[in-house]
Amino acid sequence: MARDLALLIPEIAVLLTAVGALIAEMLRRPQIALLVAVSGLIVATGLTVSLIGEDTTVFGGSFRVDDLSVWAKLILLPATILAIFLARVDVRGTVREGTVYSLLCFATIGALVLAGAGDTMFLVLGTLLTGLATFALVAYPDTDPATEAAMKFFVFASVTGAIMIFGLSYWFGAAGSTLLADLPGMDTMPMAVLLGFVAVVVGLGYKASLVPFHFWAPDAYEGGPLSIAAYLSVVPKIGALFALAQVVRDLPPESGWTAIIAGLAVLTMTYGYLAALAQTNVIRLLAYSSIAQSGYFLLGILAVGASELALPSIILFAAAYAAMNLGAFAVAASTGRTLNDFDGLGRAQPLIGLAMVIFLLSLVGIPPLAGFVGKFLLFAAAIDVQYTWVAVVAIINSVLSLAVYLRLVVPMYRQGNVVVARTDIWLKAVLIIALTVTLLLGVFAQVFVGPFA
Amino acid sequence: MLPLVSLTLFLPLVGAVLILCLPKPATRTVHVIAIITAALTLIGALSMWFQGASGAGFSQVEELQWIPAIGAAYRVGVDGISLPLVLLSAVLFLVAVIYTSSLRERPRAYIALVLLLETASIGTFTALDGILFYVFFEVSLVSMYFMIAGWGHEDRQRAALMFFIYTLLGSLPLLLAILGLYLGSPEPTFDMRAWIENPPLEGAAAMWALIAMLITFAVKIPAVPLHTWLPAAHVQAPTVGSVILAGVMLKFGTYGLVRFALQMTPDAFREAGVVVLILGVVSALYGAFAALAQSDLKRLVAYTSVNHMGYVIVGVAVAALTLDPSVRTVALDGAVLQMFSHGLVTGALFLLVGMIQDRAHTREMGELGGLLKTVPMLGWTFVLAAFASLGLPGLAHFPAEFQIFLATLSASPAAVVVILGIAIIAGTFLKALRETFLGEPRQRWQSMPDLSAREWLAVGPLLVLTVGTGVAPSWVLGIIHRTTSALAL
Repeated sequence: MARDLALLIPEIAVLLTAVGALIAEMLRRPQIALLVAVSGLIVATGLTVSLIGEDTTVFGGSFRVDDLSVWAKLILLPATILAIFLARVDVRGTVREGTVYSLLCFATIGALVLAGAGDTMFLVLGTLLTGLATFALVAYPDTDPATEAAMKFFVFASVTGAIMIFGLSYWFGAAGSTLLADLPGMDTMPMAVLLGFVAVVVGLGYKASLVPFHFWAPDAYEGGPLSIAAYLSVVPKIGALFALAQVVRDLPPESGWTAIIAGLAVLTMTYGYLAALAQTNVIRLLAYSSIAQSGYFLLGILAVGASELALPSIILFAAAYAAMNLGAFAVAASTGRTLNDFDGLGRAQPLIGLAMVIFLLSLVGIPPLAGFVGKFLLFAAAIDVQYTWVAVVAIINSVLSLAVYLRLVVPMYRQGNVVVARTDIWLKAVLIIALTVTLLLGVFAQVFVGPFA
Repeated sequence: MLPLVSLTLFLPLVGAVLILCLPKPATRTVHVIAIITAALTLIGALSMWFQGASGAGFSQVEELQWIPAIGAAYRVGVDGISLPLVLLSAVLFLVAVIYTSSLRERPRAYIALVLLLETASIGTFTALDGILFYVFFEVSLVSMYFMIAGWGHEDRQRAALMFFIYTLLGSLPLLLAILGLYLGSPEPTFDMRAWIENPPLEGAAAMWALIAMLITFAVKIPAVPLHTWLPAAHVQAPTVGSVILAGVMLKFGTYGLVRFALQMTPDAFREAGVVVLILGVVSALYGAFAALAQSDLKRLVAYTSVNHMGYVIVGVAVAALTLDPSVRTVALDGAVLQMFSHGLVTGALFLLVGMIQDRAHTREMGELGGLLKTVPMLGWTFVLAAFASLGLPGLAHFPAEFQIFLATLSASPAAVVVILGIAIIAGTFLKALRETFLGEPRQRWQSMPDLSAREWLAVGPLLVLTVGTGVAPSWVLGIIHRTTSALAL
């Protein structure tokens, strides 16, 4: 018991942080809530470092402390800090400012639970935990679009969640256990395996905004506060994708799950970028771009269990994606929500413009930026398990994505109206951190890949 | 021992960062820093040149751990094929920043891009690691995109977009090929030396990898029918952009053709050699005919590049096809020297066309005329560069093309029809010279100034090297030959 709790120290720290921030808010001290949230998350990140290289489970195998779950903490906790910085800009001075910081911490716990899930019940728990916290966050501004977005988000979550629980009952029936580690035991019942898997994909696919379960994402991103859109596009998504990786690790390979994932990957990437091409609202464009990026993760998930490159590639790309996506959202937060707002940004604010160009090129996967290193390993993983055609589709989509992101870059260097960009200290901090990671991740890739070899 | 290669490689990047970090520098300061950086880089390249390259394998190798878990490392080094190209890049970038020192429109960003491009170019030629090569290969694309989009002519946005998407689509197959080579290696590694020593792929896998590489390099070279981005990009690019695009970046394609396609999938290349040979012949002839049909001086020079690069493809294909090592050496000597010469000559031609455009604001040959009398120095330098380009003996292209044709004649005589290209290019340039420079000078160009000191400094070194390489090619060929004669395929 003591050992189990010791291994869960980071999660416990995040939980205490969330509660602490909530108490500070009750005392009407939003600044203190902010301070508690940020310092608590930093401490939790620090506590995780000693767990690198662990590969074990706690509480009878129901929660895993392995590379995926440890790196999820190391990526998602700092990402949450950045999201809190962004949220500070959005909600400063509003009535319940502190609850936002607290809810962000709660949602992150949900994402961490997903990333370390060793039991099907943890999948349900994680989805609900992130879901409940984020509905409230999307609805926070209390405007019509925000309420509508939160409503859509909620209805979608309820339906997909119900489907997932229904499907998991098949697995429980077939395997006689809720542990993921017992899934291989049901290889005599291929139909049950497949049915359950489809249901899990629905539940987690909604959270990771995979096509065709993505419909809520653009509306929720656009309707809610920008910082929450940034958060939703990174933390719950990575949590859900890591959970998917945890699930497929134990699935019998002959059940044909790889074909489902491959199909979803192709559909998600292609549809995401095609839809992004048609957007004029920057937030919706970034929403569809983040949908398409989820498809790239699936390339790595495809190879889980069969290729040594799978887990490093997913983790590395998650870190890259968190940095570059939060960075792009931070620039949007400082500039505006429509493409017209970006006219002349690069000329008026050369540094912010340069940062945006770097984030977008990294999202395309241009070397030597972070996104390239991640995608490169993802392609390698997919080719390693003989899914070369999916890698080829992904590569063609990268070209399509260039057209998407250049729609933002081209107006930035037009002779345009003088852009008035907000340069809050919090925004600056996010930009600098995200930029540093995006630029240097490639050089230090060994840190992420090292423990596996 | 100084890490000469890395110093030379990253000097321009340091210059670029320095320029970006200075708070509101004067335009003059920016240009001075740029020229000093490029000059230092040239000194670095020259010292690499005098260190030389041993026969087999790579010399001056520098290695640093990067991602040992997947066998990727920072590895750079040179051999007789890359060394002339490094020198060529350093020379061309120096004359480019000298030429551009009159730029007043946002010089800081422009110079930073040029210097970033210099690092990317030298990096592409010196990288000995698959990932590293790809990184430099792609970075060059980004900086060129922004150069065209930001400082090009009338229709630059469209041309820049086409260039970026076309070449990105073109270079991604290379990524697949690199991954294929990596996964095929017995000991997973991105070390290009290992891939050359023991080509990791065979059979159908090697053929697929070769096809992927051929697509990438054919776009970059560019070879017909994947050349359509080139005229658009050249016409819209600023002068320095054209000089670098034609002088340095087209060589990425031909260099890759030798380094990757020929050295890493030699058997597949031998099988597909005839196809590549036909591709080269068609490219060379098509480029020549297309050049003949142009009335825009810059487009004309752009199409002669397609022709000259076609000869390089022919040379490499012959090297793959022939069974006689001595013929192979001659063919590769010619191909590599042709890359070097083309950089010098086309660089000079694009600079001169840019100078004409600066003065007349047109590139239409029909509107010019009689320039030899109005601006005699500009006129005669253009005549010299044009003669070099059409392969006159004593100038840089002649020894290169002669060797390529010689090898072709002994290996696959039918392909010698490509020699027709020379005649067509000669016709093209003679027509261009007559329309632009001969005849009676026109009234509207009377006040046109002749070459300034800055322009002399830019174009002079290229012409000196053109003559030098034509009269005594052995100073370059010596280094090339040492490697090509030791090449085991």
